Amino acid sequence: MKPKEIKLIIDSKLEDVALVGREVNKLCSAAGCPLLEASDVELCVVEAVTNSIEHAYKLKAGHKVEVAFAIYSDELIVGVCDTGEPMDPKLLEEKGPSSFLFDPDNLESIPEGGRGLAIIKEIMDSVNYTSKEGKNCFTMKKKLGA
Amino acid sequence: MEIVQEQVNGVDVLRLEGRLDASSSKEIKDRISDLAKNKRVNLVVDMAGINFIDSSGLGSLVASLRSANKLGGDIRIASLQDQVRAIFELTRLHRIFEIFDDSLTAAKSF
Repeated sequence: MKPKEIKLIIDSKLEDVALVGREVNKLCSAAGCPLLEASDVELCVVEAVTNSIEHAYKLKAGHKVEVAFAIYSDELIVGVCDTGEPMDPKLLEEKGPSSFLFDPDNLESIPEGGRGLAIIKEIMDSVNYTSKEGKNCFTMKKKLGA
Repeated sequence: MEIVQEQVNGVDVLRLEGRLDASSSKEIKDRISDLAKNKRVNLVVDMAGINFIDSSGLGSLVASLRSANKLGGDIRIASLQDQVRAIFELTRLHRIFEIFDDSLTAAKSF
């Protein structure tokens, strides 16, 4: 089956991230994803785009973030690309389920941030980050109906 | 995101509407911080109108809970939509927030 593909480009502004998120959610739903699965995919895309804006572009508007979305009968693939400062790939290796471990009786030990990549890794089946010739791409894959 | 503030059973309730994400997370943090300055640290955050939360939104609630807790207060959560509840559970933050089905029950729990 040919995939359904769409590419969305937004300016690097946090207030525009929802535009991409909502669209991805709609595309997933139209392809038959259950509500919670479509919401999960939306969340991962929002986290990845927000990372590009906050970390690659340091919250400066006027840069592009590209989201390429492809949905097959059994899998979806989303790529989020920017041309900002590359992410340290070690960060992606370090984040995982242990990022959600904390002592609930010691609120001060619970970090405010640092959950985004861990959430993506929990929800998606695979993630990959590349940085080549000034373009950084974060690719996420998820089996559908699993 | 919209924030409507009201009193229920003598407790401040913040009703949120929209998306709690990186572009709106500071609003809720600032609102709770302003209340804390007036020693109003027992709060209910009613999220019936929130259909999306991301890690920044969760982070703002964690930071607010820590601030309230330091001043002897608490932040209780009410009315989570299924997809939002799922994110609280995925990140295990349901272990630090008391979560109620509605804001009246949450307000009465203080």
